[in-house]
Amino acid sequence: MSGSPYAPHTEAETDAMLDAVGVDSVEELFDIPDSVRFDGEFGIDAKSEQAAVAETERRLAKNDDLAEFLGRGHYEHYVPSLVDHLSQRSEFITSYTQYQPEVTQGFLQVLFEYQSLLVELTGLGVANCSMYDEATALAEAALLAKRVRATSGDRVLVPDYVRDGHVSVLENYTAGADVTVERYPTDDGNVDLDALADVADDDVVLVYAENPTTVGTIEESLDAVGDLADDHDALFCLGSDPVAMSVLQRPADVGADVVVGDASVLGMPTSYGMGLGVFACKEEFLRQVPGRLVGASEDADGTRAYTLTLQTREQHIRKERATSNICTNQAWVALRAAIHAASLGADGLVDLANRMVELPRDLAARLDDVRGVQAPANDRHHFREFLAHTDQPAPAIAADLEAEGFAVNAVDDHHVQICVTDANEHATDALVAAFEEVAN
Amino acid sequence: MSFDVPDNLYYLESHEWIDPDTGRVGISDFAQDELGDVVFVELPGVGDELDADSEFGVVESIKAVSDIYAPVSGEVTDVNETLEDEPELVNDDPFGDGWLVELDFDDADLDDLLTAEEYRDQIA
Repeated sequence: MSGSPYAPHTEAETDAMLDAVGVDSVEELFDIPDSVRFDGEFGIDAKSEQAAVAETERRLAKNDDLAEFLGRGHYEHYVPSLVDHLSQRSEFITSYTQYQPEVTQGFLQVLFEYQSLLVELTGLGVANCSMYDEATALAEAALLAKRVRATSGDRVLVPDYVRDGHVSVLENYTAGADVTVERYPTDDGNVDLDALADVADDDVVLVYAENPTTVGTIEESLDAVGDLADDHDALFCLGSDPVAMSVLQRPADVGADVVVGDASVLGMPTSYGMGLGVFACKEEFLRQVPGRLVGASEDADGTRAYTLTLQTREQHIRKERATSNICTNQAWVALRAAIHAASLGADGLVDLANRMVELPRDLAARLDDVRGVQAPANDRHHFREFLAHTDQPAPAIAADLEAEGFAVNAVDDHHVQICVTDANEHATDALVAAFEEVAN
Repeated sequence: MSFDVPDNLYYLESHEWIDPDTGRVGISDFAQDELGDVVFVELPGVGDELDADSEFGVVESIKAVSDIYAPVSGEVTDVNETLEDEPELVNDDPFGDGWLVELDFDDADLDDLLTAEEYRDQIA
Protein backbone atom coordinates (compact mmCIF):
# COMPACT_ATOMS: atom_id res chain seq x y z
CA MET A 1 0.00 0.00 0.00
CA SER A 2 2.95 2.28 0.54
CA GLY A 3 3.09 5.02 -2.00
CA SER A 4 -0.57 4.64 -3.00
CA PRO A 5 -2.40 7.96 -3.40
CA TYR A 6 -5.04 6.61 -1.00
CA ALA A 7 -2.54 5.56 1.73
CA PRO A 8 0.13 8.15 1.31
CA HIS A 9 2.77 6.99 3.81
CA THR A 10 6.08 5.76 2.43
CA GLU A 11 7.61 2.61 3.86
CA ALA A 12 10.21 4.75 5.62
CA GLU A 13 7.49 6.84 7.27
CA THR A 14 5.55 3.73 8.31
CA ASP A 15 8.71 2.17 9.77
CA ALA A 16 9.50 5.36 11.69
CA MET A 17 6.01 5.41 13.22
CA LEU A 18 6.14 1.71 14.13
CA ASP A 19 9.55 2.27 15.69
CA ALA A 20 8.22 5.21 17.70
CA VAL A 21 5.44 3.12 19.24
CA GLY A 22 7.71 0.13 19.68
CA VAL A 23 6.22 -2.56 17.45
CA ASP A 24 7.64 -4.45 14.50
CA SER A 25 4.71 -4.48 12.11
CA VAL A 26 1.34 -2.90 11.41
CA GLU A 27 -0.23 -6.32 12.08
CA GLU A 28 0.84 -6.10 15.72
CA LEU A 29 -1.41 -3.07 16.19
CA PHE A 30 -4.54 -5.13 15.61
CA ASP A 31 -5.97 -8.00 17.62
CA ILE A 32 -8.25 -9.74 15.15
CA PRO A 33 -9.31 -13.31 16.06
CA ASP A 34 -8.19 -15.94 13.53
CA SER A 35 -11.78 -17.07 13.10
CA VAL A 36 -12.78 -13.80 11.45
CA ARG A 37 -9.46 -12.86 9.90
CA PHE A 38 -9.26 -12.97 6.09
CA ASP A 39 -5.92 -14.45 5.25
CA GLY A 40 -6.13 -14.75 1.47
CA GLU A 41 -5.50 -12.53 -1.47
CA PHE A 42 -8.26 -10.17 -2.60
CA GLY A 43 -7.56 -10.99 -6.24
CA ILE A 44 -8.13 -7.43 -7.38
CA ASP A 45 -5.77 -6.43 -10.14
CA ALA A 46 -4.79 -2.81 -10.50
CA LYS A 47 -6.45 -1.23 -13.53
CA SER A 48 -6.54 2.19 -15.11
CA GLU A 49 -9.57 4.32 -14.24
CA GLN A 50 -10.97 3.85 -17.73
CA ALA A 51 -10.64 0.06 -17.52
CA ALA A 52 -12.11 -0.01 -13.99
CA VAL A 53 -15.17 2.01 -15.11
CA ALA A 54 -15.70 -0.27 -18.11
CA GLU A 55 -15.48 -3.39 -15.92
CA THR A 56 -17.94 -1.96 -13.36
CA GLU A 57 -20.41 -0.99 -16.09
CA ARG A 58 -20.14 -4.46 -17.62
CA ARG A 59 -21.04 -6.04 -14.26
CA LEU A 60 -23.87 -3.61 -13.51
CA ALA A 61 -25.37 -4.41 -16.93
CA LYS A 62 -25.98 -7.94 -15.66
CA ASN A 63 -28.60 -6.64 -13.20
CA ASP A 64 -32.23 -7.15 -14.12
CA ASP A 65 -33.87 -3.92 -15.21
CA LEU A 66 -37.31 -4.30 -13.62
CA ALA A 67 -40.12 -1.78 -13.51
CA GLU A 68 -40.57 -1.43 -9.78
CA PHE A 69 -43.95 -1.36 -8.03
CA LEU A 70 -42.70 -2.35 -4.56
CA GLY A 71 -43.48 0.50 -2.12
CA ARG A 72 -43.92 -0.68 1.48
CA GLY A 73 -41.89 2.13 3.03
CA HIS A 74 -39.75 3.25 0.10
CA TYR A 75 -41.37 5.60 -2.38
CA GLU A 76 -40.01 7.35 -5.40
CA HIS A 77 -41.20 10.71 -6.67
CA TYR A 78 -39.60 12.71 -9.42
CA VAL A 79 -36.85 14.83 -7.86
CA PRO A 80 -36.41 18.17 -9.65
CA SER A 81 -32.88 18.69 -11.00
CA LEU A 82 -32.76 21.87 -8.94
CA VAL A 83 -32.34 19.66 -5.85
CA ASP A 84 -29.11 18.13 -7.18
CA HIS A 85 -27.73 21.46 -8.29
CA LEU A 86 -28.32 23.25 -4.99
CA SER A 87 -27.62 20.39 -2.58
CA GLN A 88 -24.28 19.63 -4.23
CA ARG A 89 -22.93 23.12 -3.73
CA SER A 90 -19.73 22.79 -1.76
CA GLU A 91 -21.15 24.73 1.22
CA PHE A 92 -23.70 21.95 1.67
CA ILE A 93 -21.63 18.85 1.02
CA THR A 94 -21.49 17.43 4.50
CA SER A 95 -23.83 15.15 6.38
CA TYR A 96 -22.33 16.35 9.62
CA THR A 97 -24.05 18.45 12.24
CA GLN A 98 -23.82 22.22 11.79
CA TYR A 99 -22.25 23.00 15.15
CA GLN A 100 -20.68 26.30 14.17
CA PRO A 101 -23.28 28.97 13.46
CA GLU A 102 -20.57 31.43 12.42
CA VAL A 103 -19.78 29.36 9.31
CA THR A 104 -23.04 27.50 8.60
CA GLN A 105 -25.84 30.06 8.50
CA GLY A 106 -27.05 28.90 5.09
CA PHE A 107 -27.28 25.26 6.08
CA LEU A 108 -28.86 26.08 9.43
CA GLN A 109 -31.46 28.23 7.72
CA VAL A 110 -32.43 25.38 5.38
CA LEU A 111 -32.76 23.01 8.36
CA PHE A 112 -34.89 25.61 10.13
CA GLU A 113 -37.08 25.75 7.01
CA TYR A 114 -37.28 21.93 7.02
CA GLN A 115 -38.45 22.01 10.64
CA SER A 116 -40.94 24.77 9.83
CA LEU A 117 -42.32 22.72 6.92
CA LEU A 118 -42.99 19.80 9.26
CA VAL A 119 -44.52 22.06 11.89
CA GLU A 120 -46.88 23.40 9.23
CA LEU A 121 -47.79 19.97 7.85
CA THR A 122 -48.27 18.30 11.25
CA GLY A 123 -49.83 21.25 13.07
CA LEU A 124 -47.62 20.41 16.04
CA GLY A 125 -45.46 22.96 17.84
CA VAL A 126 -41.97 21.60 17.29
CA ALA A 127 -40.06 19.39 14.86
CA ASN A 128 -36.43 18.35 15.06
CA CYS A 129 -34.04 18.61 12.13
CA SER A 130 -34.26 14.86 11.38
CA MET A 131 -33.50 11.39 12.68
CA TYR A 132 -32.04 8.35 10.92
CA ASP A 133 -35.32 6.84 9.81
CA GLU A 134 -38.96 6.25 10.64
CA ALA A 135 -38.30 3.19 12.80
CA THR A 136 -35.85 4.90 15.15
CA ALA A 137 -38.13 7.95 15.29
CA LEU A 138 -40.98 5.68 16.39
CA ALA A 139 -38.74 4.13 19.06
CA GLU A 140 -37.82 7.62 20.31
CA ALA A 141 -41.54 8.46 20.48
CA ALA A 142 -42.05 5.41 22.71
CA LEU A 143 -39.20 6.50 24.98
CA LEU A 144 -40.57 10.05 25.11
CA ALA A 145 -44.00 8.72 26.08
CA LYS A 146 -42.43 6.59 28.77
CA ARG A 147 -40.58 9.64 30.17
CA VAL A 148 -43.42 12.13 30.17
CA ARG A 149 -46.21 9.89 31.32
CA ALA A 150 -46.68 10.10 35.09
CA THR A 151 -47.60 6.45 35.73
CA SER A 152 -45.61 3.26 35.92
CA GLY A 153 -47.28 1.88 32.76
CA ASP A 154 -45.08 0.42 30.06
CA ARG A 155 -47.31 -0.73 27.17
CA VAL A 156 -46.80 0.54 23.63
CA LEU A 157 -49.58 -0.46 21.22
CA VAL A 158 -48.88 -0.71 17.50
CA PRO A 159 -51.32 -1.87 14.79
CA ASP A 160 -50.73 -5.29 13.24
CA TYR A 161 -50.06 -3.71 9.84
CA VAL A 162 -46.77 -2.18 10.99
CA ARG A 163 -43.89 -3.82 9.16
CA ASP A 164 -41.87 -6.39 11.11
CA GLY A 165 -38.69 -4.38 10.60
CA HIS A 166 -40.16 -1.38 12.39
CA VAL A 167 -41.40 -3.49 15.28
CA SER A 168 -38.01 -5.15 15.56
CA VAL A 169 -36.22 -1.79 15.77
CA LEU A 170 -38.80 -0.56 18.28
CA GLU A 171 -38.26 -3.61 20.50
CA ASN A 172 -34.48 -3.44 20.24
CA TYR A 173 -34.28 0.28 20.87
CA THR A 174 -36.56 0.19 23.92
CA ALA A 175 -35.18 -3.03 25.40
CA GLY A 176 -33.47 -1.29 28.33
CA ALA A 177 -36.31 1.11 29.04
CA ASP A 178 -38.97 -1.19 30.48
CA VAL A 179 -41.29 -0.85 27.49
CA THR A 180 -43.49 -3.67 26.18
CA VAL A 181 -44.52 -3.57 22.53
CA GLU A 182 -47.87 -5.16 21.68
CA ARG A 183 -49.76 -5.39 18.41
CA TYR A 184 -53.47 -4.64 18.17
CA PRO A 185 -55.82 -5.93 15.44
CA THR A 186 -56.97 -4.04 12.38
CA ASP A 187 -60.09 -4.41 10.26
CA ASP A 188 -59.95 -4.29 6.45
CA GLY A 189 -56.67 -2.36 6.54
CA ASN A 190 -57.61 0.22 9.17
CA VAL A 191 -57.44 0.39 12.96
CA ASP A 192 -60.19 -1.73 14.56
CA LEU A 193 -61.46 0.73 17.16
CA ASP A 194 -63.39 -1.84 19.21
CA ALA A 195 -60.42 -4.18 19.33
CA LEU A 196 -58.14 -1.30 20.29
CA ALA A 197 -60.56 -0.20 23.04
CA ASP A 198 -60.52 -3.77 24.38
CA VAL A 199 -56.75 -3.86 24.82
CA ALA A 200 -56.19 -0.24 25.91
CA ASP A 201 -55.86 0.45 29.61
CA ASP A 202 -54.11 2.90 31.93
CA ASP A 203 -50.80 1.05 31.57
CA VAL A 204 -50.56 2.19 27.96
CA VAL A 205 -48.01 4.96 27.40
CA LEU A 206 -48.28 5.20 23.61
CA VAL A 207 -50.77 4.27 20.90
CA TYR A 208 -49.37 4.23 17.37
CA ALA A 209 -51.16 4.30 14.02
CA GLU A 210 -50.16 5.17 10.46
CA ASN A 211 -51.76 7.29 7.76
CA PRO A 212 -51.47 6.02 5.10
CA THR A 213 -50.99 2.53 6.51
CA THR A 214 -48.33 0.04 5.44
CA VAL A 215 -50.85 -1.47 3.00
CA GLY A 216 -51.67 1.95 1.57
CA THR A 217 -55.11 2.45 3.11
CA ILE A 218 -56.14 5.87 4.40
CA GLU A 219 -57.26 5.72 8.02
CA GLU A 220 -60.83 6.93 8.57
CA SER A 221 -61.17 7.24 12.37
CA LEU A 222 -57.94 8.73 13.61
CA ASP A 223 -59.71 11.26 15.82
CA ALA A 224 -61.32 8.34 17.67
CA VAL A 225 -57.88 6.75 18.12
CA GLY A 226 -56.63 10.06 19.50
CA ASP A 227 -59.59 10.28 21.90
CA LEU A 228 -59.06 6.70 23.05
CA ALA A 229 -55.38 7.37 23.79
CA ASP A 230 -56.40 10.53 25.62
CA ASP A 231 -58.96 8.65 27.74
CA HIS A 232 -56.11 6.52 29.08
CA ASP A 233 -53.71 9.45 29.43
CA ALA A 234 -51.50 7.84 26.77
CA LEU A 235 -49.74 9.67 23.95
CA PHE A 236 -50.96 9.20 20.38
CA CYS A 237 -48.19 8.83 17.81
CA LEU A 238 -49.03 9.02 14.11
CA GLY A 239 -46.76 7.76 11.32
CA SER A 240 -46.99 9.60 8.00
CA ASP A 241 -44.87 11.47 5.47
CA PRO A 242 -44.75 15.05 4.19
CA VAL A 243 -46.41 14.28 0.86
CA ALA A 244 -49.29 12.38 2.47
CA MET A 245 -49.73 15.03 5.15
CA SER A 246 -50.25 17.62 2.41
CA VAL A 247 -53.75 16.25 1.72
CA LEU A 248 -54.66 13.86 4.53
CA GLN A 249 -56.09 15.01 7.88
CA ARG A 250 -53.62 17.20 9.74
CA PRO A 251 -52.12 15.13 12.60
CA ALA A 252 -52.75 17.84 15.21
CA ASP A 253 -56.43 17.91 14.21
CA VAL A 254 -56.87 14.23 15.09
CA GLY A 255 -55.14 14.59 18.45
CA ALA A 256 -51.64 13.39 17.57
CA ASP A 257 -49.08 14.18 20.28
CA VAL A 258 -46.11 12.98 18.22
CA VAL A 259 -45.66 12.49 14.47
CA VAL A 260 -42.97 10.24 13.05
CA GLY A 261 -42.37 9.17 9.50
CA ASP A 262 -40.04 9.21 6.57
CA ALA A 263 -39.41 12.48 4.74
CA SER A 264 -37.05 10.94 2.19
CA VAL A 265 -40.09 10.69 -0.10
CA LEU A 266 -38.92 14.22 -0.93
CA GLY A 267 -35.50 14.94 -2.34
CA MET A 268 -34.30 11.33 -2.61
CA PRO A 269 -34.74 8.37 -4.91
CA THR A 270 -35.51 5.02 -3.28
CA SER A 271 -32.10 4.39 -1.86
CA TYR A 272 -31.54 0.92 -0.54
CA GLY A 273 -32.90 1.45 2.94
CA MET A 274 -31.67 4.90 3.83
CA GLY A 275 -34.34 7.08 5.37
CA LEU A 276 -34.99 10.54 6.73
CA GLY A 277 -36.72 10.23 10.09
CA VAL A 278 -39.43 12.77 10.90
CA PHE A 279 -39.92 13.69 14.53
CA ALA A 280 -42.47 16.32 15.52
CA CYS A 281 -44.40 16.77 18.75
CA LYS A 282 -46.41 19.16 20.87
CA GLU A 283 -44.47 22.11 22.24
CA GLU A 284 -45.00 20.96 25.82
CA PHE A 285 -42.49 18.17 25.09
CA LEU A 286 -39.87 20.61 23.75
CA ARG A 287 -37.22 19.51 26.25
CA GLN A 288 -37.99 15.86 25.60
CA VAL A 289 -37.33 15.98 21.85
CA PRO A 290 -34.51 13.64 20.79
CA GLY A 291 -31.87 14.76 18.33
CA ARG A 292 -31.08 18.20 17.03
CA LEU A 293 -33.09 21.41 16.95
CA VAL A 294 -32.22 24.51 14.96
CA GLY A 295 -33.51 27.72 16.50
CA ALA A 296 -33.87 31.24 15.15
CA SER A 297 -32.14 33.90 17.21
CA GLU A 298 -30.37 37.23 16.79
CA ASP A 299 -26.67 37.93 16.49
CA ALA A 300 -24.83 40.74 18.31
CA ASP A 301 -26.00 43.23 15.65
CA GLY A 302 -29.63 42.24 16.06
CA THR A 303 -29.72 40.38 12.72
CA ARG A 304 -31.77 37.18 12.46
CA ALA A 305 -29.45 34.21 12.89
CA TYR A 306 -29.78 30.46 13.25
CA THR A 307 -28.13 28.12 15.71
CA LEU A 308 -28.44 24.67 17.21
CA THR A 309 -30.38 25.11 20.40
CA LEU A 310 -31.28 23.25 23.61
CA GLN A 311 -28.16 21.12 23.34
CA THR A 312 -28.08 20.59 27.10
CA ARG A 313 -30.72 17.88 26.47
CA GLU A 314 -28.18 15.88 24.58
CA GLN A 315 -25.82 13.11 25.42
CA HIS A 316 -22.68 15.03 24.53
CA ILE A 317 -23.41 17.39 27.44
CA ARG A 318 -25.65 15.46 29.76
CA LYS A 319 -24.27 11.91 29.42
CA GLU A 320 -26.43 9.34 31.18
CA ARG A 321 -29.12 11.91 31.97
CA ALA A 322 -29.57 12.83 28.32
CA THR A 323 -32.97 12.88 26.62
CA SER A 324 -31.79 10.26 24.13
CA ASN A 325 -28.65 8.66 22.75
CA ILE A 326 -29.15 10.36 19.41
CA CYS A 327 -26.63 13.16 18.93
CA THR A 328 -26.85 13.38 15.19
CA ASN A 329 -29.17 13.72 12.24
CA GLN A 330 -29.52 13.34 8.47
CA ALA A 331 -28.71 16.96 7.76
CA TRP A 332 -27.92 16.74 4.06
CA VAL A 333 -30.89 14.50 3.31
CA ALA A 334 -33.16 16.90 5.21
CA LEU A 335 -31.65 19.74 3.18
CA ARG A 336 -32.60 17.94 -0.06
CA ALA A 337 -36.14 17.30 1.22
CA ALA A 338 -36.54 20.97 2.13
CA ILE A 339 -35.29 22.11 -1.29
CA HIS A 340 -37.63 19.67 -3.03
CA ALA A 341 -40.62 20.86 -0.98
CA ALA A 342 -39.73 24.52 -1.57
CA SER A 343 -39.37 23.96 -5.31
CA LEU A 344 -42.81 22.31 -5.46
CA GLY A 345 -44.39 25.00 -3.30
CA ALA A 346 -47.57 24.42 -1.33
CA ASP A 347 -49.74 23.94 -4.45
CA GLY A 348 -47.22 21.64 -6.09
CA LEU A 349 -47.04 19.49 -2.97
CA VAL A 350 -50.84 19.20 -2.82
CA ASP A 351 -51.02 18.39 -6.56
CA LEU A 352 -48.44 15.63 -6.11
CA ALA A 353 -50.32 14.26 -3.10
CA ASN A 354 -53.64 14.27 -4.98
CA ARG A 355 -52.00 12.23 -7.75
CA MET A 356 -51.02 9.68 -5.09
CA VAL A 357 -54.72 9.17 -4.37
CA GLU A 358 -55.77 9.05 -8.05
CA LEU A 359 -53.04 6.75 -9.38
CA PRO A 360 -53.68 3.74 -7.09
CA ARG A 361 -57.45 4.19 -7.48
CA ASP A 362 -57.18 4.07 -11.28
CA LEU A 363 -54.67 1.23 -11.40
CA ALA A 364 -56.68 -0.85 -8.91
CA ALA A 365 -59.80 -0.39 -11.04
CA ARG A 366 -57.97 -1.59 -14.14
CA LEU A 367 -56.50 -4.62 -12.36
CA ASP A 368 -59.94 -5.43 -10.95
CA ASP A 369 -61.04 -5.97 -14.55
CA VAL A 370 -58.34 -8.60 -15.02
CA ARG A 371 -59.66 -12.14 -14.59
CA GLY A 372 -58.26 -13.68 -11.38
CA VAL A 373 -57.57 -10.33 -9.68
CA GLN A 374 -59.68 -8.34 -7.20
CA ALA A 375 -58.37 -4.88 -6.44
CA PRO A 376 -58.19 -3.13 -4.15
CA ALA A 377 -58.44 -5.94 -1.62
CA ASN A 378 -59.38 -3.45 1.13
CA ASP A 379 -62.58 -1.47 0.68
CA ARG A 380 -60.81 1.78 1.55
CA HIS A 381 -59.34 4.86 -0.02
CA HIS A 382 -55.67 4.44 -0.80
CA PHE A 383 -52.49 6.47 -1.01
CA ARG A 384 -49.73 5.39 -3.42
CA GLU A 385 -50.29 1.65 -2.92
CA PHE A 386 -52.87 -1.06 -2.39
CA LEU A 387 -53.26 -4.80 -1.93
CA ALA A 388 -54.69 -6.89 -4.75
CA HIS A 389 -56.21 -10.32 -4.15
CA THR A 390 -55.07 -12.98 -6.61
CA ASP A 391 -56.93 -16.25 -7.24
CA GLN A 392 -53.65 -17.92 -8.15
CA PRO A 393 -50.91 -18.12 -5.46
CA ALA A 394 -49.42 -14.65 -5.04
CA PRO A 395 -45.74 -15.77 -4.87
CA ALA A 396 -46.12 -17.53 -8.25
CA ILE A 397 -47.71 -14.42 -9.75
CA ALA A 398 -44.91 -12.22 -8.39
CA ALA A 399 -42.35 -14.61 -9.91
CA ASP A 400 -44.15 -14.62 -13.26
CA LEU A 401 -44.36 -10.82 -13.23
CA GLU A 402 -40.64 -10.65 -12.52
CA ALA A 403 -40.03 -12.75 -15.62
CA GLU A 404 -42.13 -10.19 -17.52
CA GLY A 405 -39.99 -7.33 -16.15
CA PHE A 406 -41.96 -6.13 -13.10
CA ALA A 407 -41.14 -6.17 -9.39
CA VAL A 408 -44.13 -6.49 -7.04
CA ASN A 409 -44.37 -7.78 -3.46
CA ALA A 410 -46.27 -10.94 -2.64
CA VAL A 411 -47.33 -10.20 0.94
CA ASP A 412 -49.10 -13.50 1.63
CA ASP A 413 -50.53 -16.53 -0.22
CA HIS A 414 -53.11 -14.57 -2.19
CA HIS A 415 -52.18 -10.87 -1.97
CA VAL A 416 -49.71 -8.78 -3.89
CA GLN A 417 -48.99 -5.16 -2.98
CA ILE A 418 -48.65 -2.61 -5.74
CA CYS A 419 -47.23 0.88 -5.36
CA VAL A 420 -47.74 3.46 -8.10
CA THR A 421 -46.35 6.98 -8.15
CA ASP A 422 -45.33 9.58 -10.70
CA ALA A 423 -42.04 7.65 -11.01
CA ASN A 424 -43.50 4.43 -12.43
CA GLU A 425 -46.94 5.42 -13.73
CA HIS A 426 -45.58 5.27 -17.30
CA ALA A 427 -45.28 1.49 -16.84
CA THR A 428 -48.85 0.85 -15.65
CA ASP A 429 -50.23 -0.10 -19.09
CA ALA A 430 -47.51 -2.71 -19.43
CA LEU A 431 -48.12 -3.94 -15.86
CA VAL A 432 -51.85 -4.43 -16.51
CA ALA A 433 -51.00 -6.32 -19.73
CA ALA A 434 -48.56 -8.51 -17.79
CA PHE A 435 -51.22 -9.28 -15.17
CA GLU A 436 -53.54 -10.38 -17.99
CA GLU A 437 -50.85 -12.86 -19.03
CA VAL A 438 -50.08 -14.32 -15.59
CA ALA A 439 -53.11 -13.88 -13.28
CA ASN A 440 -55.68 -16.40 -14.46
CA MET B 1 -15.57 37.27 44.64
CA SER B 2 -17.76 36.79 47.68
CA PHE B 3 -21.14 35.14 47.68
CA ASP B 4 -24.20 35.78 49.76
CA VAL B 5 -24.72 33.05 52.41
CA PRO B 6 -27.63 34.00 54.71
CA ASP B 7 -27.06 32.95 58.33
CA ASN B 8 -30.62 31.73 58.96
CA LEU B 9 -30.48 28.93 56.32
CA TYR B 10 -29.10 25.39 56.25
CA TYR B 11 -27.09 24.08 53.29
CA LEU B 12 -26.11 20.92 51.40
CA GLU B 13 -22.64 20.26 50.01
CA SER B 14 -24.34 20.14 46.61
CA HIS B 15 -25.32 23.82 47.10
CA GLU B 16 -29.04 23.60 47.94
CA TRP B 17 -30.43 25.58 50.89
CA ILE B 18 -33.47 25.14 53.13
CA ASP B 19 -35.18 27.74 55.29
CA PRO B 20 -35.97 26.04 58.64
CA ASP B 21 -38.92 28.38 59.27
CA THR B 22 -40.76 28.17 55.93
CA GLY B 23 -39.44 24.86 54.54
CA ARG B 24 -38.50 26.63 51.30
CA VAL B 25 -35.69 25.08 49.27
CA GLY B 26 -33.50 26.65 46.61
CA ILE B 27 -29.97 26.75 45.24
CA SER B 28 -27.28 29.03 46.62
CA ASP B 29 -25.86 32.26 45.23
CA PHE B 30 -22.61 30.37 44.58
CA ALA B 31 -24.47 27.65 42.64
CA GLN B 32 -26.39 30.07 40.42
CA ASP B 33 -23.16 31.91 39.64
CA GLU B 34 -21.41 28.65 38.68
CA LEU B 35 -24.30 27.60 36.44
CA GLY B 36 -24.62 30.86 34.55
CA ASP B 37 -27.92 32.01 33.02
CA VAL B 38 -30.67 29.62 34.08
CA VAL B 39 -33.07 28.94 31.19
CA PHE B 40 -35.31 26.18 32.53
CA VAL B 41 -36.27 24.65 35.86
CA GLU B 42 -37.98 21.27 36.15
CA LEU B 43 -39.75 20.77 39.48
CA PRO B 44 -41.77 17.99 41.16
CA GLY B 45 -45.53 18.18 41.77
CA VAL B 46 -47.24 19.26 44.98
CA GLY B 47 -47.81 16.20 47.15
CA ASP B 48 -44.69 14.36 45.94
CA GLU B 49 -42.68 12.70 48.70
CA LEU B 50 -38.95 13.43 48.57
CA ASP B 51 -36.13 11.50 50.23
CA ALA B 52 -33.16 13.37 51.67
CA ASP B 53 -30.26 13.54 49.19
CA SER B 54 -32.42 12.31 46.30
CA GLU B 55 -32.79 14.17 42.99
CA PHE B 56 -36.04 16.06 42.83
CA GLY B 57 -35.60 18.40 39.89
CA VAL B 58 -33.34 19.86 37.26
CA VAL B 59 -31.87 23.30 36.72
CA GLU B 60 -30.84 23.92 33.12
CA SER B 61 -28.53 26.77 32.26
CA ILE B 62 -26.95 27.82 28.99
CA LYS B 63 -23.93 25.65 29.79
CA ALA B 64 -25.10 22.77 31.96
CA VAL B 65 -27.97 20.71 33.23
CA SER B 66 -27.78 20.01 36.94
CA ASP B 67 -29.83 17.79 39.20
CA ILE B 68 -31.13 19.33 42.41
CA TYR B 69 -31.08 17.29 45.61
CA ALA B 70 -33.48 17.39 48.53
CA PRO B 71 -31.78 18.67 51.71
CA VAL B 72 -34.23 16.72 53.89
CA SER B 73 -37.01 14.19 53.47
CA GLY B 74 -40.52 15.58 53.21
CA GLU B 75 -43.67 16.23 51.24
CA VAL B 76 -43.78 18.97 48.63
CA THR B 77 -46.39 21.50 49.80
CA ASP B 78 -45.78 24.18 47.17
CA VAL B 79 -43.70 24.75 44.02
CA ASN B 80 -42.56 28.06 42.58
CA GLU B 81 -44.61 28.15 39.38
CA THR B 82 -43.30 31.62 38.51
CA LEU B 83 -40.07 29.92 37.41
CA GLU B 84 -41.86 28.38 34.41
CA ASP B 85 -41.91 31.79 32.76
CA GLU B 86 -39.11 33.50 34.67
CA PRO B 87 -36.33 30.97 35.33
CA GLU B 88 -33.91 33.91 35.57
CA LEU B 89 -35.25 34.56 39.09
CA VAL B 90 -32.92 31.75 40.21
CA ASN B 91 -30.01 33.96 39.13
CA ASP B 92 -31.47 37.28 40.23
CA ASP B 93 -32.71 36.31 43.68
CA PRO B 94 -31.62 32.78 44.62
CA PHE B 95 -32.61 33.11 48.29
CA GLY B 96 -35.83 35.04 47.60
CA ASP B 97 -38.10 34.93 44.54
CA GLY B 98 -35.88 32.24 43.02
CA TRP B 99 -36.94 29.57 45.54
CA LEU B 100 -37.84 26.17 44.08
CA VAL B 101 -40.14 24.14 46.36
CA GLU B 102 -41.58 24.19 49.84
CA LEU B 103 -41.33 21.06 52.01
CA ASP B 104 -43.14 19.74 55.04
CA PHE B 105 -40.26 18.17 56.97
CA ASP B 106 -39.00 17.00 60.36
CA ASP B 107 -36.85 19.57 62.18
CA ALA B 108 -34.54 16.84 63.49
CA ASP B 109 -33.31 16.24 59.92
CA LEU B 110 -31.72 19.69 59.88
CA ASP B 111 -28.92 18.34 62.09
CA ASP B 112 -27.42 16.54 59.09
CA LEU B 113 -27.03 19.77 57.11
CA LEU B 114 -24.29 22.41 56.95
CA THR B 115 -24.66 25.65 58.85
CA ALA B 116 -24.05 28.92 57.04
CA GLU B 117 -20.58 29.06 58.53
CA GLU B 118 -19.71 25.54 57.44
CA TYR B 119 -21.05 26.20 53.93
CA ARG B 120 -19.02 29.43 53.73
CA ASP B 121 -15.90 27.39 54.48
CA GLN B 122 -16.82 24.92 51.74
CA ILE B 123 -17.08 27.51 48.99
CA ALA B 124 -14.21 29.68 50.21
